[in-house]
Order: sequence, then structure tokens, then C-alpha cells
Amino acid sequence: MTLPPSPAPKRRRGKPHPQLEQLERTWYFFRRNTLGLVGLGIILSITGVAIYATALPLPWTSVPIWCATEYGPSNAASGYPHNFVMDCPSTGPVVCTYEQSPPPNAASFCGDHWYKTPVVSNIPFPSVIAPTLTLSPYSSGPLPLGGLTVSSGSRTPIYDISGLIARGADWSLLFSVSIVGIGAAAGLMIGAIAGFYGGLLDDVLMRIVDVFLSIPTILFVIVVVAVVSANLPAAGGDVWVKVIALILGFSVVWWPFYARIVRGQVLSVREQKFVEAAFASGAPRRRILLRHIIPNSVYPIFIQFSLDVGTIPLLIGALVFLGFGTMLFPSVPFPEWGSLSALSVQDLQGDFMVSCTTPATGCVIPWWQLVFPGLALFFYALSVNLLSDGLRDALDPRLRR
Amino acid sequence: MRITTYIARRALLVPPVLIGVVTITFVLFTALPVSDQLIAHYGSPSPKQRCGYQETCSCATLNPTSVVGDTCYCISPPTKVTPTDQCVNPVYREYYDRLGLNQPVVVQWATYLYRTFTLHWGTVSNHSTVAQVYPQLQGVPVVTAIAWELPYTLELALLSLWVILTLAIPLGNASAVYRNRPVDQGSRVLSFSGFALPAFLLGNLLVLGVILLLLPHTGPLVKSPWCPSGEPIAEEFTYSLPQARSCYAALPFGAAFPTWVANGVHSTPTGLFTVDALIHHDPWLALDSLLRIVVPALVVAYGSVAILLRFVRNSMLEVMNLDYIRTARAGGVPEATVVRRHAGRNSMNVTITVLGLTFAAFLGGFPVIEAVFHLNGIGELLAVAANPSQALDFGVIFGSTVLFCLIIVSANLIVDVLYAYLDPRVRLG
Repeated sequence: MTLPPSPAPKRRRGKPHPQLEQLERTWYFFRRNTLGLVGLGIILSITGVAIYATALPLPWTSVPIWCATEYGPSNAASGYPHNFVMDCPSTGPVVCTYEQSPPPNAASFCGDHWYKTPVVSNIPFPSVIAPTLTLSPYSSGPLPLGGLTVSSGSRTPIYDISGLIARGADWSLLFSVSIVGIGAAAGLMIGAIAGFYGGLLDDVLMRIVDVFLSIPTILFVIVVVAVVSANLPAAGGDVWVKVIALILGFSVVWWPFYARIVRGQVLSVREQKFVEAAFASGAPRRRILLRHIIPNSVYPIFIQFSLDVGTIPLLIGALVFLGFGTMLFPSVPFPEWGSLSALSVQDLQGDFMVSCTTPATGCVIPWWQLVFPGLALFFYALSVNLLSDGLRDALDPRLRR
Repeated sequence: MRITTYIARRALLVPPVLIGVVTITFVLFTALPVSDQLIAHYGSPSPKQRCGYQETCSCATLNPTSVVGDTCYCISPPTKVTPTDQCVNPVYREYYDRLGLNQPVVVQWATYLYRTFTLHWGTVSNHSTVAQVYPQLQGVPVVTAIAWELPYTLELALLSLWVILTLAIPLGNASAVYRNRPVDQGSRVLSFSGFALPAFLLGNLLVLGVILLLLPHTGPLVKSPWCPSGEPIAEEFTYSLPQARSCYAALPFGAAFPTWVANGVHSTPTGLFTVDALIHHDPWLALDSLLRIVVPALVVAYGSVAILLRFVRNSMLEVMNLDYIRTARAGGVPEATVVRRHAGRNSMNVTITVLGLTFAAFLGGFPVIEAVFHLNGIGELLAVAANPSQALDFGVIFGSTVLFCLIIVSANLIVDVLYAYLDPRVRLG
């Protein structure tokens, strides 16, 4: 005997979809957490900058930044006392010249145009004690955040920090979200399967997770990146090959955390009445897993996800600090925030190790290169953490009190 | 269950995890180019092996004595070719077979396991960044190199563990007891900033800050009792020992490192710089090396304290609402005793659990922090080995990775045993 098909459940008019309702409830609780709102605000504005910088190439960020800002039309006046060679991205090495009476921020002539050249040296020693606060001589964009010198070989090109930070928003977001996303998806599937089917499969999968968890993340990433780069051509290469290798290398490390969390959650969800009801009504196991168990065990994933998204740039920064910049990224400096702050740290170390110790040469400690990329990184990770804290409070009924 | 039975059962779980860890490193190791594998195992080829570990080589390079006019004799296969033609490099074949690369993968895996567990971790290469930074390590077995640098890392780790325990527990308890008061808000700021400040940034900010603070008073050269001639301000609290050779000019052995420091890398007899300086009756240098380790220990501790604080606070909040606390209060036990004795005991359990869970992350901070402060530990050894400015040293990279995993696996074992000891429910359940 066949049962007649049951009519589609009618929703009462005026009552929203249950999942929508859940979302509304979450938002209701989330909204009361001021710090969480602040975090969300910062994240949204970072996303805005990222979209803006990607969709509309800003004039001061889309060009390779060294020698980027046009200062004015070519002035064919005679007599250029100070010649120097400058590597312009469009023309290659050119003999560049200072204007006879240089404008306040040391413009230079390069190729056919005038450029604002950040000048870092030649400031007498005592100024070290009172670090300079006027950064416009060191920057070339509309936001005076100073310049970042990156030593490569014999040259020390200078990049505009504000431009790099703006261009880095999308890369940082892309890396964090894709790495954690792939890791979370894989961990979700593996953890759910292990928790749901149990038995030998569970044991084997969880031992594998144990193994992965006993290797420090950063060490594992170092080894994976080192091995991958030993098999890749050293320099240059396609941007996306390296980016994808980096993302995959990180993802290999990232799934076990999620597998463990999801498994624990699945184990408790599996014992609940609605799963029993689904079994009793004869639903196939795959359907129970996909429709009943996984949707009910994803909340801890969201929280962990939002926590981890903040740590990826910190890890990438640590890798770049250890010297993997050229291996990870096709160009140095690659505008990713972790990478930027690590580069600035390296350069700063070089600076106060070498030049600032001898009063004869004199220098300014370029604190801005450490502070501004670091602040971008700090606020990014901080806001992600605040957001996840707010999410935890809103999603976990026990903490709502 | 008796605690010994529990320990035995828990220890049985260790070998599979160890084998798993080594298997992962094996998979990564086999993915390396053959020449890198050979260098990692046998060290750099000697200059006599002209063509190194390359598979094929031009006949003239391989066998210059056999070049006669336009002809040259390949040894394998024995043929007469022009000097620019490629011959098979016999050294390559020999070492390829010696490493067992001609064997089936299972056999390779088994030999890799055997080598790893018998501490045959390969040789430091002669042309890597490690060899450049530490010339005294060239051609030394990786295990020896690691054994030289391990004590310093242990010293740093123990100091920062002590900082973590003495900071996180009282602060976490206080922020639970005075919930939403200034202490709690302060510890919340501390914990959130700990999540968001990577060690390389924080470490360098501290270095920069101290330099800016000291500079007006001391000038670029800092004179101290252990270095009367003065040393550069940036080196004053980085590096494990004073780097300026002039610091040691007053010592009987002239302007070199003290005799008990082998080229500034490894100190005898214990390997702990502070202890060794005391053993050799040099209290100033002991104080100096202790001062040099304090800032990095604080930086390493910061991240872990950030995590621990949250957990201790939450568990304390839960415990403070339990019935036995109310009973204790009703019985007239002073509030301070309730907090410290009755509720506070719980936070020790939480601390140990969370420390166990985050121990991997804690150790993972060492390569970075030792690189920031130029300390002679295995972390810096790994950081230098993985620094691509010269060739990578895969022997050191894999060796120190395996070592880190060994430490973590045994730390997890210790944590579980401690936990079972502190909380009888674990070994009963």
C-alpha cells in the first residue's frame, strides 16, 4: 500500500521562514554587544576598502609604487646638479635628476615626469631621540603614512605605505577566508563522518587528527612551504601558482582543528530525539547526516572560523619575517598586511642595528613603517576576535544571560 | 583505575602518534628533489665529487683528466663523447642507492622511521644559510647541532611557562571575582590584544621602545658592568651573549668569547647560559644572560596568557555559582579563602588542560621569537635553516620539526597524567 503524498507544509502568513527567524534572533542578541558591533564595523569597512581597491584601481595604488607619484610636468630647465640612477617600472633604469631648487618634498625627475622622492637619510643624529611626526616627506599618496623601504640586493626602493595598506586589504581577506574556508569545509566533512559513523573509521580519522595536532601549525607551514618552493622555480612565476600553493599549503594544516570540534558536536547531536525520529521514519543515513546532523552542528564552526580568519595574516607575517617573502609571494613587497608588517620589521631591524648606532651617519628611526602596517594587522585581527566573541555570545544560549 | 594503569594506557597511545608524525614528515621529505634529500642526509658533497649530487653532468666536469682534444670518456656508461655531452654521475647513483631510493616506498618508509627513531637525522649542509650563520656547524650531524641549541630553548620555555602560570591564574581568578570591574576590563584588553599582536611585531615594538627610552640616557653605546667598553644599544638586550668582542677584552683569554662558550653557540657544561656563567664564577654575565632572556620570555608568554585568561575566567565564573561555594560562604569561611581554596583549585585543572591544548602553538612561537631576539636556540636554528637567502637546510628543518613534535607529544602525555592526578574523575571514568 502506498501512502498519499503529504501536502507541502503551509507556512502561516506573516511568520518568517524559521531560519530567517533564527537569524533575526541572533542579530537581536548580537546587537547588544557593543564590542562585537565595533568588530563588525571594522570588518565591514575593511571589506569596503578591499572591494574599492579591487574594483576601482586607485591612481596611487595601481601603479607599482616606487616612483609612483607624478609631481608635475617635465621642466626642461638647464643644469641638474644631482644625477642619480632610478629604476622606473615603465622605463627601466634611468638617470634621474633633482631639480635645481628642489621643492619642499624633494621632487625628482625620472623618465618624463617629476616624482616625489621620499628621503630618509641625512637627518642629524639627535633627531632620533624625538622621532619625526611629519611624514609627508616620506609618503607619496594622499594619506601621509610614510614610506616603506625594502632592501633587495643593492637597491633600497621605497614604497608608499598608505597605498600598500589599501592594496593589501583584499589580499589579506582572500588568504584568510579561503584558507580557513577550505580547512573548515574539509574538517566539517571529515569530523561529521567520523562522529556519525563511528567505529574503526572514527578511530583512524581521529588518530590522524591527533597526529596533525601535535605538529605546531607554523612549523608545519614552514616545512610545507619549503618543500613546495623547493619544487617550484625560485623567483618570478605566475602570481596565482604561488598564491594557490600558499593557500593549499595552509589548508593542509588547518582542517584537523575543525574535524575535532565538529566530531564532538556531532557526537552530542547524534543522540538527540530528532535524529532518532529521522531514523525511525526511515530516512537514509546520508540524508540524516547532511540534513539533520550537519546543520545542527555548524555553530561552533562559525565561532572558530571567525577566530581563525584573524590569525592567518599573523601567521603569514611570521613566515615572511622568517624570510619566506620571496618564496611565498611573486613580488616583494607583496601587499598583504602580515607580509608588510614583517617586511617593515626586517627593515627596521636593519636600520637600528646598522645605522642608528653610529652617531656619525645619523638617522631617523622610521617608526611609521612598523606602526602603520602593524596597526592595520592589529585592528584586523582584533576586530575579527571581537566579532567572534559577539557571535559566541549571540549563538550560545547559555551565555546570553 | 590506579594511576599507574592509567599512565600505562595513556602511554600506549604515544607510539601510533609518533609514527604518524614521522610518516607525515616522510611524505614531505620524499616530495623533495633527490639532490636535496641527499644533502639533507649526507651533507654537502665534497669538492672532490666535482659534479655533486646531480644526476647527469657534462663529461668535462665529471672527468677532466679524460679530455683529449674533442673527445672525453664517460665512465658510466663507458662511451666516448664530446666534452660537453652529458654523462651519468656515478656519485649520484651510488648515493641514490645508499639512501635506499631504489627500494619500494614501504621499505623507504620503514628505513626512514628507523633512522628517525635512532636519531640519524642527517647532516648540516656546507652551503646553506645555517652553514653561513654558524660556520662551526658545517658538516656536523643534525642531532649534535640540535643538542647544542636545545638547552637554551628549554631555559626560555621554562621561564615563559613560569611567567604564564604566575600571571594567568591570579589575573583570571581576579577578573572572575571582580567581574566587569576595572581588573576584568583590563584583562580583557590584555587578552584581546594578545590574540591580535603577533610575536614578531610585539617583540620588535618592545625593542624599539626600549631603544627610544634608553637612547637619551645612554647614547648609542651602552656601558654595563659586564661590558665596560660598551656595546651597541640594539645588541644590548638581543642575542644570548654580548656580541661585541671588546666586551671580553678584560677577560684572561682576550677578546674572544669565554672559553666555556663554544663560538658563541653552545655553552658547557649544562648548556644553560645563565647556569654556566654562575658555574664559571661570572655573576655579571649570568645576570646579563638572564636579562636577555626576560623580554622574549614575556613576549612568548603574552600570547598564551591571552588564551589562558579567558578560560580561567570562564571556569571560575561557572564554579563561583556552584552550591559548595555557597555552602562554604554560609559556613562563614572568609571570602578570600573561598576564592583561593575552594574555587581557585579548579582553575589549576583548566590551566593544565588549556596549556596542553595550546602547547603546540606555544612551542610554535619559538622560531619567530628566537629569530627576533637572535637567541641561540633550536627555534632560531630552524628559522635560519628555513631562511632562503642561501640554500635551505632540509636536514635541520626536518630534524627540528621532528624534535618539536616529540616535545609536544611527550608534553601532552605529561599533561594528561597530571590531569588524571589532579582530577580523580578522569581516571575513574
